Amino acid sequence: MDRRIFLKGSAAAGAAACLGAWPDRDAFAQARAETLRVVAEGRPNSLDPHGTGVSPASLGTFSNVYDRLIQFDRREVSAGLYRYDYARFTGELAQAWEESDEGRSLVFHLRPDATFHDGAPVTAEDVRWSLARGVSLPASKNQLATGSLKDAAQFEVVDAHTLRIRFDRKDRLTLPNLALTFASVINSALVKSHATEADPWGAEWLRSNEAGSGAYRVETWNPSQQVVYSRFDGWKGGALPYLKRAIVQVVPAASSRVATLRKGDADIALQLPPRDIDAIAGDKAVKVVSLPVTNSFRFVAFNTRQKPFDDVRVRQAIAYALPYKDLLEGAVFGHGTPLYGAKSRVPAEASFPQAFPYDTDLDKARALLAEAGLGSGFETTFSYNVADATIADPIALLVQEALGKLGVKVTIEKVAEAQWGALLTQRKVPFYVEASSAWFNDPDYFFRIFFQGDWRWNFGNFQDEELDELVNAARWETDHARYDEAIRKAIGIVFDKVPIVLLWLPSFEAALQPRLDGFTYYIHGQVDFRTLRSA
Amino acid sequence: MPRSLPLFVLKRILAVLPVLAGAVLFTFVIMRVLPGDPAAMLASGPGSGPEEVAALRRQLGLDRPLAEQLVLYVGDIARGDLGRSFTTGEPVVRDLLQRLPASLELTFSALLLAVATALPLGIAAALRPGSVIDHACRLVATVGTSLPAFVVGLGLIYAFYFALGWAPEPIGRLDGWMDPPAAVTGFVLVDSALAGDGPAFLSGLRHLVLPSITMALFALAPLARITRGAMLDLLSSDFIRTARSLGLSRWTILVHYALRNALIAIVTALGMVFSTMLGANVLVEKVFAWPGVSSYAIDALMSSDYAPVQGFVLVVAGIFAAANLVIDIVYGLVDPRAGRSG
Repeated sequence: MDRRIFLKGSAAAGAAACLGAWPDRDAFAQARAETLRVVAEGRPNSLDPHGTGVSPASLGTFSNVYDRLIQFDRREVSAGLYRYDYARFTGELAQAWEESDEGRSLVFHLRPDATFHDGAPVTAEDVRWSLARGVSLPASKNQLATGSLKDAAQFEVVDAHTLRIRFDRKDRLTLPNLALTFASVINSALVKSHATEADPWGAEWLRSNEAGSGAYRVETWNPSQQVVYSRFDGWKGGALPYLKRAIVQVVPAASSRVATLRKGDADIALQLPPRDIDAIAGDKAVKVVSLPVTNSFRFVAFNTRQKPFDDVRVRQAIAYALPYKDLLEGAVFGHGTPLYGAKSRVPAEASFPQAFPYDTDLDKARALLAEAGLGSGFETTFSYNVADATIADPIALLVQEALGKLGVKVTIEKVAEAQWGALLTQRKVPFYVEASSAWFNDPDYFFRIFFQGDWRWNFGNFQDEELDELVNAARWETDHARYDEAIRKAIGIVFDKVPIVLLWLPSFEAALQPRLDGFTYYIHGQVDFRTLRSA
Repeated sequence: MPRSLPLFVLKRILAVLPVLAGAVLFTFVIMRVLPGDPAAMLASGPGSGPEEVAALRRQLGLDRPLAEQLVLYVGDIARGDLGRSFTTGEPVVRDLLQRLPASLELTFSALLLAVATALPLGIAAALRPGSVIDHACRLVATVGTSLPAFVVGLGLIYAFYFALGWAPEPIGRLDGWMDPPAAVTGFVLVDSALAGDGPAFLSGLRHLVLPSITMALFALAPLARITRGAMLDLLSSDFIRTARSLGLSRWTILVHYALRNALIAIVTALGMVFSTMLGANVLVEKVFAWPGVSSYAIDALMSSDYAPVQGFVLVVAGIFAAANLVIDIVYGLVDPRAGRSG
């Protein structure tokens, strides 16, 4: 065949195909309004709510694809913007639930008509199997155990649509745990059909396949590029959502996410740095959402069992030397709620995180260092995770400069992300900056994770008997006044001994098209398609 | 006298095997020598204590002796299994099969663009040294090498997408609303042409333009410089002078005698540029959300995800070897003297 004739022929064929296949304009506009396009940096990596090494973005997937017995209710914070309410619950698969035997038994009544995406009815046996799976697999069992959900034998099928859970004692953390994605209900027959002897819970299969009853099903699962969701019209867990489709795309460059949003090609942009948020704040074509993440905090930590930070006066001196305002401005452009400068050393309320009673006061810092016998200063390293560099790098420089005024010579150490976890686990860093969060806001829950124990999350490597006693007493305290008293005392200890110095509460920030209504911020900071509407 | 082509190819393929084995061993050891613990990385949610980390290490097989891990790994490779990435949650083979065509498509189109610009530019510069066009060639080369790819990329996005609206959104290979054509080769342009899907072909082409230009600019500099240099040398050589004195036409001298001889240097440069582009365009991939192999490997490296990094190195080593083979064959075509020895 002559090359020239071939080329001409294929060009003509291409042109004809273009003309023939253009979609109808009106139909396209309609489809566009009912389709949501999210651009984010984070990408999901699993469809298994109990999976190991699950990325934060996967939690958004679980919320939309699976149902739980119950979910957190939400309240409106400003016109059209909601946030989850940690203290109130609403049914998802359960239409009602009641507690008996002094809270030692919880009975859930399932919606009788709910089905999984493959049409199989959702039964109490599915719920039992899913919870048993959750308490058996390593990635979910520790979390569920914080709500006394520990043993498969606790879950009892009463009849096809009734499930009972038994406890040794009433636990106020049970319901919050049941509202997390770890308590998602999975199509047990479907997963079992893919289970093997080596993998009885079907984890291998469920990682890249879904088995949910949630409002959306996964249409295309291409997690490192884009995931397409389509509405499950048979959903019974709530009112049928407005959006028929949702496309979540991974766009690593923040400037590209901003550009597509401002251009109207994307509807929601997540994980925007403060600078980009400030840059688009004046743009009428987009709406910026900003909420404090109350279960999260940015902090500077010491290894309290290593010299010189084993001396409480040294820690307090540094807490007085940190340039808090400059840190907040320099690192996140003021996008955070200060957790410093409380007026009183007595905690204002029994809640955590709350502002620490420290503010920049170099005279006090000098006096404390002198008292500790380090009036002429000392040398130390200040470390941070390279993956956190945008925020941690300015912090490190400001800390270095501020402590230099006290004669403390700080060497900055940047640690590769891959190495960071191992170093924290092995307590190899004396002084560092990090951010963290816990699932729940109960102060005793917070304290158990961050101020106790032998694990990485006890960032200050802190040990204090009195604090342990108070926190343990608060765990099962049912009397509010006594609970608050114990917690205030525990907070007082942390104020005084500063194993970590709190800096600020980070903000959850996203930008969206102004026509979108009903955006709900959840614990995981991902997008819940179910509540969104296009006005 | 050139030997038969199939024998030559076979010999070269056999010669590549030790290189690949070396690449496997090298990456395997390097990944484990580098500081970082995938188990500690994976167990990074509150609630994971030392026991969970130990259990994960067992599950990942990291508690076994290094030699045993290597034997297991080589056995897996022999079965075509490159392991599973825990950052993407997918088998590495699947990830690479999906991402390699994306990288190749972008690299090829950028290379095509670069060659189409660099050859005329270099030749013109060589014909008139010191002229405006020669300075232009030098300017383009300097700009191409000195401007970071992401600056060029962001600038192009701002101008052609955001301000002018000519280019499509800088996300991936196709319009987000569009269903991708059935994957046959993984190349969007080829697959959509095979499926007769006009809109997909057009969308794929439109999405290719800006990232290709960004990458081409990077490749333009070495190619244009080498073309210019080779042509300058040749145009002042004896046989060209002879050809001129014999009264051959300018065109014949330029294309048949000078350019053909310059090609050997250009093809060598092309091979090097191709290999570099394929593995080193992380920034272009990030800025355009292009689902290629380099950003995949970098993300994996950042989180001590061994399997994808090992898989990536193996595949890129293979491609590098293949590219060299192709270049050697092309040598034989453009210059019979190069033969097929070795």
